[in-house]
Amino acid sequence: MMKIIKDWQSGMAKNITFIVTKDCQLACKYCYLVGKNEKERMSFDVAKQAIDYILDHESEYREESVVWDFIGGEPFLEIELIDKICDYLKAEMFRRNHHWFNSYRFSFSTNGINYHEEKVQRFIKKNVSHLSIGITIDGTEKKHDLNRVYKHTEKGSYQSVVKNIPLWLEQFPNAGTKVTISSADIPYIKESVLHLYSLGIHEVNINCVFEDVWKEGDDQLFEEQLMSLADAIIDGGYYKDYACSFYSEHLGKPLDKVLQNQNWCGAGRMLSIDAAGNFYPCTRFAQYSLRSKKACIIGNIHDGINNNLLRPFLTLDRRTQSPQECIDCEVAEGCAWCQGENYDAADTDTIYQRATAICKMHKARVHANNYYWNKLYRKLELEGEREEFEKNKKEAKDIIC
Amino acid sequence: MKKLVGQVTPEERNEIQTLFERRNGLNELAKILTADNAELYDKLVKDLGETSTKFQNWWDRMAEKYQWESFEGGNWEINFDTCEIFLVTQ
Amino acid sequence: MLQYLIILLDDTSISFCHYKNPKTEQRLIPLETLKLGIRLGMMENLMIQYVYPDYELPQEYQEVIESIDHSKIKPQKEDADVWVTDKMESVSSDIPVVLRINKEILFAHEQEISEVIRKVSRLNIVLTDVESFTEEDFARYKSLLGKLSDSLEKIYVDGKTPQLNLLTDRMMLKEMNNCGAGDTNITLAPNGKFYVCPAFYYEDEADSIGDLEHGLDIKNKQLYRLDHAPICRHCDAWQCKRCIWLNRKTTLEVNTPSHEQCVLAHLERNASRDLLNNIRKYGTFLPEQEEIKEIDYLDPFDKRDEWQ
Repeated sequence: MMKIIKDWQSGMAKNITFIVTKDCQLACKYCYLVGKNEKERMSFDVAKQAIDYILDHESEYREESVVWDFIGGEPFLEIELIDKICDYLKAEMFRRNHHWFNSYRFSFSTNGINYHEEKVQRFIKKNVSHLSIGITIDGTEKKHDLNRVYKHTEKGSYQSVVKNIPLWLEQFPNAGTKVTISSADIPYIKESVLHLYSLGIHEVNINCVFEDVWKEGDDQLFEEQLMSLADAIIDGGYYKDYACSFYSEHLGKPLDKVLQNQNWCGAGRMLSIDAAGNFYPCTRFAQYSLRSKKACIIGNIHDGINNNLLRPFLTLDRRTQSPQECIDCEVAEGCAWCQGENYDAADTDTIYQRATAICKMHKARVHANNYYWNKLYRKLELEGEREEFEKNKKEAKDIIC
Repeated sequence: MKKLVGQVTPEERNEIQTLFERRNGLNELAKILTADNAELYDKLVKDLGETSTKFQNWWDRMAEKYQWESFEGGNWEINFDTCEIFLVTQ
Repeated sequence: MLQYLIILLDDTSISFCHYKNPKTEQRLIPLETLKLGIRLGMMENLMIQYVYPDYELPQEYQEVIESIDHSKIKPQKEDADVWVTDKMESVSSDIPVVLRINKEILFAHEQEISEVIRKVSRLNIVLTDVESFTEEDFARYKSLLGKLSDSLEKIYVDGKTPQLNLLTDRMMLKEMNNCGAGDTNITLAPNGKFYVCPAFYYEDEADSIGDLEHGLDIKNKQLYRLDHAPICRHCDAWQCKRCIWLNRKTTLEVNTPSHEQCVLAHLERNASRDLLNNIRKYGTFLPEQEEIKEIDYLDPFDKRDEWQ
């Protein structure tokens, strides 16, 4: 079985996100960033103040590692700013003897369009051992161009992205891509995953959007696609060297009410900073990510973080926010949620109401996932490879945001 | 060619991983710091020296402890996920 | 389950709790609205609590008010079931007294408060600026509770048993005894709409949870219950009011209290523990009550890793 690369530091690093720009070349139809614009960009001064605040409060940030994340819009539109911020981060962590100097990453999720540009490449070479860069390529050209279109022309961006994939994989051979599924994408799932494999991408992290976009019959179509993909992966031997996050051994069982009560996502444990120097528990709580609620600001670069505003996030658990149907669900394991979407969709201004638009899609996924593992285990047993598989298997990672 | 020759403990792995990360960080910092910022530059140079020494010491200590197989012109590599040590030859 | 209906008789009705009433213009609840509210209370078997303004109501109102069993929360002692005041001078009463004061007045008048306790059957001290407490204020509060505890100890040993919410409630409780806004009680405002509590009305009239015409409509009502409060359901500072309004004001969630609320409640709890133990040194006292355990924290949030 292909070694799936674990989250760096088992996902225990502190995640700090700089919203460097709200501009993007694209206007992806499923993008949850409803308030993108060309005007708001972070100044270096704001970034510096945020960094100084965070590094000044080392005792409050005891995680061993940090991921400095840069997001947009499209972050690489601000590569010069990012370069300056990263240089400042490196120098300051070192100058202050901060424990993070021994364990940090710079992380980017990019549309890949200007990945090849000289300034971007220069930045990459300068920081290569500390970088985590994901390019979003959504599958086949048809599927990718369904949603990922240029802002003014509405023309698909696939050709602009795919030409940079070889360079990206050469520089980051273990990189994975993030694929988003909305209602219109369902018929293209199988061919898209296989297409990404053919491009040399070994890890496909793919998930359905959490928003309420699903139509009658979508779950059935989704299940069929995943079953068919399962056949292709197993019959084609892809399971040895390739991974797809739809299939997980930790999916589809009931959850213990006491021992498995933790919240799903890390909202509140991460920190997001916008161009105005406001702090958020996650980027999803910034105004440009919200369609129907007010932003949830937990502090700013001048006043610091208001810890009282973090208390609800840090005491969130599964049962308190879930309806009884979810608590009793026999296939609850692996059913994900996004705290920001929960908040945006809730009947009141609360993070304690779980959005369940994804329910039928999760159940469909569970069926296909059961099929996948039953088929794969049987194949491995018949071929005498089950023990080897168990020895080498790693945890899959379910990326949701 | 790569051959599995041993395994270290997780604690030993953590030690070298920290040094590895620190050395990478120092090398990347060296690309942007110049003698203009004398104090920081001196600190960097000193740290680079110390870290490189500690790095080499770790390998020497572990080799002594575990008596791994070696090969002329070859070198040892560690897999940080599995703590396994490999002998790599051309 | 709903048990109480609070009816604000006027926009300027006295505040009996943490919130400040900013309205200065009188607006009496329409008589018809009052009658409908009472009718609803009777049908739902709710105990009605009227909150009075600082002026005499027209005769026809008084007659309607008396048509049902009720409590009167008033800014005067006369004819009240609960007397709300912000002045300590000449307070003496057989009926419960609510004393609304800020921390500076509290800290500066420990002596006077000890005197008041001797002259009442029950005193509820309500702090109007909980959210402003600093670490230094916590230390002062702890010291004040200690002194009040000493006074109460003497009073109890003398054979009298006045109640002080901050110190004696916890001694006598067997479980959580919170305000219950949104869960066991709701408020009817002069505009004919329902609110979680008067504070919600005064903060934003649009923030209603239904009205007399269409009925109650409490969204996410489970979040007003103790079992949906992650910090509080682990807590044994049972005397805490778990003020929903303060929760939302400080943490933006109705089910989550601020650090300041938790620390104050635990300082009170610990002082109650000391008082109970001290009184018990003189002989049997509240034998049916269990011991209040010693704890090493003031904010249960700090112990969240130990929860299951």
